[in-house]
Amino acid sequence: MPLTKHAVLKIAYRELRRMTSRPLYVLSMVIAPLFCYIFFTSLMKEGLPENLPAGVVDADNSSVSRNILRNLDAYQQTGFIRQYSNFAEARNAMQKGQIYGFFYIPKGLEHDASNQNQPLISIYTNGSYLIPSSLLYRDMKTMATMASAAVGRQVLLAKGAGMDQAMGFLQPIQIDMHALGNPMLNYSVYLTNTLLPAILALMVLMITCFSIHTELKDGTAREWLDMADGDILRAVSGKLLPQTALFILMAAIYLILLYGILGFPHNNGIWPMALAAVMLILASQGFAVFIASAIPSLRWSLSLCTLWGVLSIPISGFSFPVMGMPPVLRALSWLFPLRHYFLIYVDQALNGIPFMCSAWFYVALLGFMIMPLLDIWLLKRTAYKYTYLP
Amino acid sequence: MIENIRKILFVCGRELRKTVSDSGVMVFFLVVPLLYPLLYAYLYSGEVVREVPVVAVDQNRSVMSREFLRKTDATPDLHIVQYCSDMEEARNLMYHHKAYGAILVPEDFSSRLTSGLQATVGTYCDMSGLLYYKSLLSGTTMVSLDMNRDIQKEKLAGLTSEQLEVQTMPIRNEYITMFNPANGFQSFIIPAILILIIQQTMVLGVGMMAGTEYEQRKTGRLLLGGEYNNPLLVLIGKAFAYLLVYALMSVYLLMLVPYLFHMPQLAHLSTLVAFMVPLLLACVFFSIVLAFFVRDRESGFLLFVFVSVPLVFISGISWPASNIPAFWRVLSVIFPSTHGINGFCRIAGDSALLGDVVHEYTSLWILTAVYFMLALLAFINFYRSKHIPGYEFIKARRDKVVDTMTERLDKVEGKLLSVHEDLQEKRESIREDLKEIHDKVRQRKNRSDRNQSNG
Repeated sequence: MPLTKHAVLKIAYRELRRMTSRPLYVLSMVIAPLFCYIFFTSLMKEGLPENLPAGVVDADNSSVSRNILRNLDAYQQTGFIRQYSNFAEARNAMQKGQIYGFFYIPKGLEHDASNQNQPLISIYTNGSYLIPSSLLYRDMKTMATMASAAVGRQVLLAKGAGMDQAMGFLQPIQIDMHALGNPMLNYSVYLTNTLLPAILALMVLMITCFSIHTELKDGTAREWLDMADGDILRAVSGKLLPQTALFILMAAIYLILLYGILGFPHNNGIWPMALAAVMLILASQGFAVFIASAIPSLRWSLSLCTLWGVLSIPISGFSFPVMGMPPVLRALSWLFPLRHYFLIYVDQALNGIPFMCSAWFYVALLGFMIMPLLDIWLLKRTAYKYTYLP
Repeated sequence: MIENIRKILFVCGRELRKTVSDSGVMVFFLVVPLLYPLLYAYLYSGEVVREVPVVAVDQNRSVMSREFLRKTDATPDLHIVQYCSDMEEARNLMYHHKAYGAILVPEDFSSRLTSGLQATVGTYCDMSGLLYYKSLLSGTTMVSLDMNRDIQKEKLAGLTSEQLEVQTMPIRNEYITMFNPANGFQSFIIPAILILIIQQTMVLGVGMMAGTEYEQRKTGRLLLGGEYNNPLLVLIGKAFAYLLVYALMSVYLLMLVPYLFHMPQLAHLSTLVAFMVPLLLACVFFSIVLAFFVRDRESGFLLFVFVSVPLVFISGISWPASNIPAFWRVLSVIFPSTHGINGFCRIAGDSALLGDVVHEYTSLWILTAVYFMLALLAFINFYRSKHIPGYEFIKARRDKVVDTMTERLDKVEGKLLSVHEDLQEKRESIREDLKEIHDKVRQRKNRSDRNQSNG
């Protein structure tokens, strides 16, 4: 038994030397994830984009219209207001990308409103930019409704109604929204919580596959297997050991960054997420070994691993829900480790529900971890027979 | 001049042949650009989320509360999967992923409304996706506006509906999302993905070819002819080859794909074509420069693939460019994709003309010039380098090979000659020996003949 351990450690030591012999490994295992950690957290540090450039066409230029504009300026998401003299000019500014949306106040607003002619305020936003467009819409819509309510309220108050009654008449049913777990609608919470592990998992998939297949390409596979007395399981685990350690360290960094430094919601504490992160890394390694064994070509297995890693970002459903995807892709989404990680995150960090509710997702990650047992014997066969064809 | 063109075409042709014969490069140049957009478009073909499952808690149990919930269920946004007796039960269903939201109608809902006061409906939303929030908000808001109007109508009995409108809504408003009327996810993300595919597959493919060449050089399997003696012509030839491939791919990516998936395609053809020229050129030289960092066929995967994700965000298509920290905004300028995405989105989505994207357009030309110069410097340096064999080196090595071969041949010839002489000598001596033996035999025979006659 001590001999077995010895062999695994020896291979691990050999792998460590391989990893330090080329800058490629450090670049993709340490620098790339670190870069993305810093990039995404600093990019969205505001949480919700504030002071978005918007415009206005005030064809009325009356006290009512000026009042609307003053109020709009006070909103957090809407930034400085640029004035345009007509519709074409504002539309052109939007095409040039200078503003994300604008208000159109028609001529005669004040006059029509007081004469009960129901003037029409138009809100235009640039739908090509989805996030700023919907944020601006929210502010402008509220503003327009409030402007209208203000006029209506004045009329009612003048007629002798109380404030309660006035609101009860103008807006009898009011909707009170509660965004569970992320009350400020923080985009950084919404995106980086999954993007950072996604990048790390992508690197795990690629590095695992690459490091195994370069043994075949360089013709060192036989030497590697001989060190483990031809036991492929021992050979692979020894090889992956230093990589696993380094990747877990990288996962720890993002966990500390997100839940420690930035204080993102982690309602069940950090441990369920730490477990999920470690399991995500092991699951990705398991999946990559499975692919590397099944496809005896560096190019094709690496291509597939890359495809899987990149595709897992949209298909995990954190930006566009899986529910809205075609049925085939909905079913396929279960084959991506990141999908399970994302569901664990929603349950354990965002919503803080009982651990057992997400037990199946952990089990699924465990399933990816033992996937290599299915076909790893193929890798051994390849290793003894393989010749690299460029 | 003609000689130079011949050299360029030779390099270009060789590059194209290499592309076609290398299945790894074909994956990047052909398979990924062909299939990836289809995959993405399929992924987001739903555009929006409909019928989000929610649960309802009706503490009021009146005609009005039932009407509110019935109408909510009827909206395209929401679907009430279950009515719960209390929030505890609702929470439990949300825990088990049966619902993504809960609607709570409070006990005093109808009593407040009938006494002319404002009533509040509480909604609780799972925040795992922002689109759930959007659906829940717009669904319930729609219903509340609808019911509000009915309630107001009852209170002001006797007024015509027009008078009512004026009373309740003195100033109306309308909402127009220009350029992406459905506010769909596909129309928003796919244009960015398309541009990114062009840049990233080119970087990966060109990188793989450079990696292959590097490997072949290292093992001495790469021998280039006299066509490769001028760095400028080699650079132009290579760039021309990639440009040809991607001119074709762009027609597919930027015209056919949007057509196939009914995405906004408001582009003026001439604007689009004019914009594509600097975009493709900038991408080509950008790829060639990056390819110098690639040392083997596969390392491009590890170095370049993950960059795609930050590149989408740095372009300002998702997180607004006006809110990107200055440092990242400056960095984003060096990637052709940033200008490409912004320009293409506005050309295809907003029907912008070249004059509207003049900033992106000139930026791309500047990038083209910068990356061209960098690539040229790298090529010149490369061909002068002693460590990596360039043309001169190869010629010298060729001569050396010829020399050694001749030397060896000479040696062999010499050896053969000496062997020949040896053999000749031996033959002479053998012949002499034979003669001697022959003579001796004859002498003996004569002697015995004589003995017989004597005896």
